[in-house]
Amino acid sequence: METMKTNFTRIVVIGYGKAAGEVLKYIHDRRADYGYELAFIEHEPHALSITGQICRERGIPFASMPDKRELADYLAEIQEKTLIVSASNNFLFPAALVEKENITIINFHNALLPDYPGRNAPSWVIYRGEERTGITWHYVTAGVDEGNIIIQKSCEIGSDTKAYELTERLMDLACEGFYECFDGVMQENVKAKPQEMQPGRRMYRSTEIPGDGFLNLAEEPEKLYRLLRSVDYGKSGIFPPLQTEVAGVRAEILRYRKIAPEKRKEEADMLHLPLADGNLLKIKYCMLEMYK
Amino acid sequence: MEEKVLEILEEYCEEALDYTGDNMMEEGVIDSFTVINIVSELEDAFDIEIDAKYVVAENFRNKEAVIELVARLLEE
Repeated sequence: METMKTNFTRIVVIGYGKAAGEVLKYIHDRRADYGYELAFIEHEPHALSITGQICRERGIPFASMPDKRELADYLAEIQEKTLIVSASNNFLFPAALVEKENITIINFHNALLPDYPGRNAPSWVIYRGEERTGITWHYVTAGVDEGNIIIQKSCEIGSDTKAYELTERLMDLACEGFYECFDGVMQENVKAKPQEMQPGRRMYRSTEIPGDGFLNLAEEPEKLYRLLRSVDYGKSGIFPPLQTEVAGVRAEILRYRKIAPEKRKEEADMLHLPLADGNLLKIKYCMLEMYK
Repeated sequence: MEEKVLEILEEYCEEALDYTGDNMMEEGVIDSFTVINIVSELEDAFDIEIDAKYVVAENFRNKEAVIELVARLLEE
């Protein structure tokens, strides 16, 4: 079978999680169309990651490079015309690499750029009460999340959506978007759109936490519910547990849930706050010893 | 307890009930997002804290492993 025309002889996928795994499988499946070599790099190991397994099953070269310098050196040594696909990856590509003639980098960002650049975008859109968000595949430049837009896909944010649920939806959209733009990227005929960035665009940093990580019980329960949902990534530890103050004592939030009033059960260290839709916001906490 | 765990598994991943192997994650029966939901439901149902160190593929390799995990945490 004749291969499709591309100048890329190699693709390197960097990332973790579902999007990286699905993108990796797709690129592997399309090898026969373009004849490139493929490799995967894991920069941030994840307890439930399946990318290693995908590589083992399919014979894709796999390298774990948690060290930033090692990864930067490895990428800098690439001589072939290479496409780097960054999918759920937090490694910032050095300017010298981005500017190399033989390297093209595309990145999946989990928001509709130019809005919500930086880290943990699903959290910020929930916290700020946005009704829609989406994903962006863009070319990588020296500036963070500033490159030209290849494709975008959007979705609604439900009123009960938690950060991990939105993340999953966005990863599905990222895969859809990638499948759609892959041939254009490989054939270098994408009509990429420059981002219309407003002056003073806010960049969200990894150290920032919605609500500064504090649940102020004097605020409206709806706002508290948004804050709780915005930092809810299960046990992944992306954010430290939220804290609050109960009767003048510091406490840590253990879990929360929206429940119907008839499901209310009085328990120790539990708050029930009325929501505007008639339900209750149940919050389980534990007092922090150091503050007792 | 077992019945409740199976009920939760059924709600989020029906396939887990019929699965007879020993690695649901690697075999694609369950994914990391489903695990988050299951952990959240288990914590609420049994009023337990499931620490991140327990949220690993080993403890979600099949339904028996999940039951074993909850039993262990209830004993602590």
